[in-house]
Amino acid sequence: MRPGWLRAPVSVAVALLVLVLAAVAAAFAPWIVPGATAQDLILGISGPGPGHPLGTDDLGRDVLSLLVAGARTAVPGALCVAVGSMVVGNLAGLPAGYLGGWVDALVMRWADLVFSLPALLVAIVVAGVLGGGYGLAIVVLVVLFAPTDTRVVRGAVLEQRHRPYVEAARMKNLSAWRIMTRHVWPNIAPVALANVFLNFAYALVSLASLSFLGLGVAAGSPDWGRTLSDNRTQFLANPWTVIAPGLAIIAVAAALNIVGDWLYERVDARGRAR
Amino acid sequence: MAHEGGITVEGLTVRQPETGRTLLSEVSFDVAPGESLAIVGESGSGKSLTVRATLGLLPRGLDATGRVVIDGVRVDDDPRARARQRGGVVSLLMQDPFTLLNPLRRVGRQIADGLPKGADARTEVPRLLAEVGLPADVAGRYPFQLSGGMRQRVGLAAALAGGPRVLVADEPTTALDATTQREVLALVRRVQRDRGMAFVLITHDLRLAFSTCDRVMVMYAGRIMETGGAGAVRDEQLHPYTRALLAAEPPADRRLAVIPAVPGSVPAHDAVAERCAFAARCSLAVPDCLATRPEPLAVRPGRLSACLRAAELPARPAPAPGVAPGPPVTAAPLLDLRDLRRSFAGAVRPALDGVSLTVAPGEVVGVVGESGSGKTTLARCVAGLERPDAGTVTLDGMDCSDYGRLGRTAVRQARRTAQMIFQDPYSTLNPARTIGATLAEALRADGRPASPGDVARLLGSVGLSRDMAGVRPAGLSGGERQRVAIARAVAGEPRLLICDEPVSALDVSVQAQILALLSDLRERLSMAMLFITHDLAVVRQVADRLYVLEAGRCVETGPADRVLDAPSHPYTRTLLSSVPTGSPNWLS
Repeated sequence: MRPGWLRAPVSVAVALLVLVLAAVAAAFAPWIVPGATAQDLILGISGPGPGHPLGTDDLGRDVLSLLVAGARTAVPGALCVAVGSMVVGNLAGLPAGYLGGWVDALVMRWADLVFSLPALLVAIVVAGVLGGGYGLAIVVLVVLFAPTDTRVVRGAVLEQRHRPYVEAARMKNLSAWRIMTRHVWPNIAPVALANVFLNFAYALVSLASLSFLGLGVAAGSPDWGRTLSDNRTQFLANPWTVIAPGLAIIAVAAALNIVGDWLYERVDARGRAR
Repeated sequence: MAHEGGITVEGLTVRQPETGRTLLSEVSFDVAPGESLAIVGESGSGKSLTVRATLGLLPRGLDATGRVVIDGVRVDDDPRARARQRGGVVSLLMQDPFTLLNPLRRVGRQIADGLPKGADARTEVPRLLAEVGLPADVAGRYPFQLSGGMRQRVGLAAALAGGPRVLVADEPTTALDATTQREVLALVRRVQRDRGMAFVLITHDLRLAFSTCDRVMVMYAGRIMETGGAGAVRDEQLHPYTRALLAAEPPADRRLAVIPAVPGSVPAHDAVAERCAFAARCSLAVPDCLATRPEPLAVRPGRLSACLRAAELPARPAPAPGVAPGPPVTAAPLLDLRDLRRSFAGAVRPALDGVSLTVAPGEVVGVVGESGSGKTTLARCVAGLERPDAGTVTLDGMDCSDYGRLGRTAVRQARRTAQMIFQDPYSTLNPARTIGATLAEALRADGRPASPGDVARLLGSVGLSRDMAGVRPAGLSGGERQRVAIARAVAGEPRLLICDEPVSALDVSVQAQILALLSDLRERLSMAMLFITHDLAVVRQVADRLYVLEAGRCVETGPADRVLDAPSHPYTRTLLSSVPTGSPNWLS
C-alpha cells in the first residue's frame, strides 16, 4: 500500500510542478524576462491582447513578465521568513518544553513580549531608525513570527517529554542536548514542517504590507505582494494586474501545503506506532 | 432455530473489499435467552470484530456476510431493523469506563437517554441505579466524581435502560482493578440472570470466562477453534490452542519452574487461510494440519473443535507442581529505600506515605498493589525519574535520593547500576529511530562497544534476529517491542532492573515468553529485579520476596510464598480472592 515516489496523487504532481515553476522563475527571472520592468508610458494600461497575454499595467509594463520577475523577491523572501522563524522557534521551543523551569519561563515571557508588540508599530519604528530594506523586512518578520512557532514546538515537546522512550533515554544518562535533538525532535519535526508551509503564505502577504511602510521591497518593483497592493486602483482597467500576482501567491501557498501534507503523511506512516 | 430473545449467528465472514483481505471467516454461534457465552481470544483473534459485525457496528471499509438473527428478527440484511433494535433489544457495554460517559453531563441524564419513550426518568433512573448497586444520589453527579468501578456500573445502568434482551460486553473490566473487576462481573452476571438476558462477553482471560459464562468460544486468527460448556472446557480442552492458552496463564497458587510459553505470535487470517491457523505453533501438528483447513466439528455433544486430531489428543498432562523460590539472600542490600514519601499537588492523599524496602543483589522483589497504591511512583523514585519529598534511596551504597544533586560521575554510576523497563510497548521505543540505532546508542551510553556485531549479539540475547536492527518500532509486534526495550535496559548489564508492569499490556502467550526471557536474563546476568505489578499470578512466578502496597503504605511484606499462601493482612486476602480461578464459585 505504500505509494512510491512515482505513484504520487495527481494533486501532488500538479503542486510539485507549480513549485518547480516558481523556483525556476525565482532563480532565472533576469534571463527569462530581461526587460520585465521596461516601461511603455505611451501604451499605458491595457487589457489582454496580442503581445501582452495578460495586458499591461499603468506604466505599460507587461503583466506576465512582471509576474515571472516578481517570483525573484516574493518566493525566497517568504521562504526565508517561514524557515527562519521555525529555526528560531525550534531553538527556543525545544529547550523550553524539555527543560522547563527558568528556561521555559524566560522563553515564554520573551514570546509574550513579542506577542504584545503591535506589529505595524514595530515595523514603522525599525524603518525609521534603521532605514528600509528587503533583508531588514525579513528579519523583522522572523522576529514577529518566531513566538508562534516557539509555542507550537514547545507544546509538541511537552506532549513527548513524558513518553517512556524519552524517560528511557534519560535512564541511559544521555545528555539533554542529545535527547532533545536525536530523540524528541524527529518526533515533532512533522508538526514544525507543517507550520513552515502555513507561515509561507502568510509571510508573502506580510512582506507586501511591510513594504507599504517603507520596509521591504521598493515601490514599483514587480514583487507579487507589492504589485497586488500597488495595483488595486487598476482593477477595473485591467483586472489581471491584480488577479495574476494574487493567483500566483495562492498557487504557491496551496502547492506548498499539498506537498507538505503529502510529505507529512509519508514521514508519519513510517514512524506511526501501531 | 431463531428463538425469541436470543441471538443466532451463522457463517459470519468479514472482508475488507479494498484490499481483498478476509479478517474473519465462518463464525457461528447461538445464545439463548438467559444463557451466557464468552468469546475468548488474544489480540488479533477477531473476537471484537465478531461482536461488531454481529451488531452492525463495523468500521467503514469492512463488509460482513452471514446470517444474524437477534430476538427472532433477521437483521444482517436490514439496516432499519438494526436501527430499531439498537439501544432497545440489544445493548453494548463498552470497555473503557473512563471515556464511555460524557464528562460534561450528569450521570442521571446519561442513563435517562437510553430509556424507552414515555418512561418516567424520575422513577426509572433511581430504580436502574439501585439495580447496579449505586445510591440514587449518584444521578446528580458528574462522571469525574466517580471511581472507575462506579463508572462501569453507571455504564451498565445505561445499557440496561432500554430493557435489552441481549447484552454484549466488550472486555468490560480490562481497565479496572482486580478487586473492582470481580465486583462488576458478579453484578453483570447477577443482573443477566435476574433479567434472563442473552449475554455475550468478550475477554482475553480464559479463567475469567469459565467463571462468568455458561459456555465459551475460543477464537484464533479470525476463526473458531473450540466451543463448549465452561466447566467441560475447563476440565478438558479439545484443541491444542486452548490448552496452550490456558497453560500460558500463570497460576497464583504456586510457582512454576517454567511457564509453558507458545513460540511465535497470532498470524493474520489470510496467512493461514487454507490450513490449521495454529499448526505452525502447535507441538502436536502433523503434515495434514498444514494441508487442509479443519472446520469446527462436533467431537462430542455440545463440544466443537477445529482440530484434526481432536479425538486423539493425548490426555492432558497433570498440572506442573510448584517449585520453591530461591533461598533468601542475606548479603548487604543493593537497593535500600527508607521511609519514602511523595505527594502530588492537588491529590487528596500522598502517593507514597513512608515506604521502606530493600533489594539484595540477585534478588527479585515484587511490589504489588492496585492503581493508586503508589507502586509506579515508587519505581520512578528509584529510577530517579521522580524526586521523593522525604526519605532516602540508597543504591549500591550511594545516596541517590536526589539525582539533581549528584555529580556527573555519580549519576553515570547510578544509571549503570539500575535500569528500567516500562509498561506500554507502543511508546517505550522512539518511533523515529531504528531498533539498531536505539540499541547502539544504549550500548555506547553504557560504555560498551557498539558495532553492528555487538547490536546483533544484544538482539540475540533477547531472542530477536539480527535483521531487526534496520526496522522501526512500527514494524514490530508488542512482544517484540518489549524485547527491544529489555535489550536496551540490559545493554550495560545493570545490577538492578526496575520492571514497571512489563507484561500487563501483552497477550497471555506473549506474557509467558517475556517472563521466561526476564528470568533467563536474570540468571545469566545475576541481576536483581524490582518487579512492579498488579497481577498476583505473575508476581508469584518471578518474585522471591513481596511488598503489598495499599494507598501509599506497605501493608504486608515477606517471602513470596508465605505472603501468597498465608496472607496476614485483609487487603492481601482481598487481592488474592480477586484473581480469577476458573471456578463458577469465584463470583459468588
